[in-house]
Amino acid sequence: MRYNIRYTITLLLLLLFSISAAAVDAPEYSGEPYSVINDNIPFFAVPYVSEGDVIYEVFEDYSPLDELGRCNAATANICTELMPTDERGDISSVIPTGWHSVKYDFVSGKYLYNRCHLIGYQLAGEDANTLNLITGTRYMNITGMLPFENMIADYVKETNNHVLYRVTPDFKNNELVARGVEMEAMSLEDHGGDICFNVYCYNVQPGVVIDYTDGNSGAYGEFILEQDKNILHKTGCLGYDGKNETNIAIAEGAVWEFVKHGITLCPLCRPE
Amino acid sequence: MNIIVCLDNNNGMLFNKRRQSRDRELILRIKELTEGHRLWMNAYSARLFGDDVFVADDFIAEAGTGDYCFIENTPIPTDSIEQIIIYHWNREYPSDTYFDLDISGMKLISRYEFKGYSHDTITEEIYEQQKI
Repeated sequence: MRYNIRYTITLLLLLLFSISAAAVDAPEYSGEPYSVINDNIPFFAVPYVSEGDVIYEVFEDYSPLDELGRCNAATANICTELMPTDERGDISSVIPTGWHSVKYDFVSGKYLYNRCHLIGYQLAGEDANTLNLITGTRYMNITGMLPFENMIADYVKETNNHVLYRVTPDFKNNELVARGVEMEAMSLEDHGGDICFNVYCYNVQPGVVIDYTDGNSGAYGEFILEQDKNILHKTGCLGYDGKNETNIAIAEGAVWEFVKHGITLCPLCRPE
Repeated sequence: MNIIVCLDNNNGMLFNKRRQSRDRELILRIKELTEGHRLWMNAYSARLFGDDVFVADDFIAEAGTGDYCFIENTPIPTDSIEQIIIYHWNREYPSDTYFDLDISGMKLISRYEFKGYSHDTITEEIYEQQKI
């Protein structure tokens, strides 16, 4: 953290933020990278607007990790003073909860997971800050979050105005990988006239099924389930009796899901 | 009339009734391009340009032959268009309102790239109505 200027009003606002920073009930993922929440009104907007105050203090605030080592809400007053002037540094030393270094050929850039900044580097210049990095899919990072970060960054560069910004990861129960992040932003000088949004970006990757409890994953596929023996086969495997159609069923999902439900993998075709 | 719009990589124009982006170098370029002509827009857009523009709620109806209309948050007309000037931000932004005018029947007569203030490269494309 490069700035640590705290004013009373800022603390009061942060208190209000923390009260409303619980994860929202987002709609189920339906093929779009994000959903609009609360008609695009940030939850922190109501107390802010009603008080009619404008804050210009430079601050960024990262919640402490919880008992499972997971990040929580990150809040910043995005302005030119916070924005980086150097290229991003190495962040590979940070291992966020649920992290796996795994590749899929059909994922852009191959790697399923990115060390995903809550407050994007282009906005606050945070490198290897463990309080600001979660395990996020390439899809969430690039297709979901980045366009919103771009919009804020370019607006601040052009206007020198301030944007109050909060990103809250949504961890269900004891899961180590977030289901998504809620992103809230409001331009301050014009009370949200230019920048005002509240969206939920889904931590999903098309074609991949993620186990959010630990970050394990597998490619979505279609398999054959030999029902009496509870054995999973690749389609076309010679290891099951294809003549007895009543004993086989088409099964869709990722291999790890079947294993988790006690289904054995065929040693001949080795589905993966 | 001549139409001017700004688009992101997905042909987006707005998100949550607000412009996706702005660039002070782009404003200068538009002023240069439209010099000597009337440049129309509504009050929402006029804040970007300052003086020397014509402002009206129904500016598209007001604009005549040879005039320019800078359009951000109003529907794009489908007739009486002489040229369409598209500025591509070459950036990804969120969008919920898109440029959906079919310009396949128009001819690209000019393409020009320049550096913006907050954008690495802005691309200007000018499409002209085909003469029948």
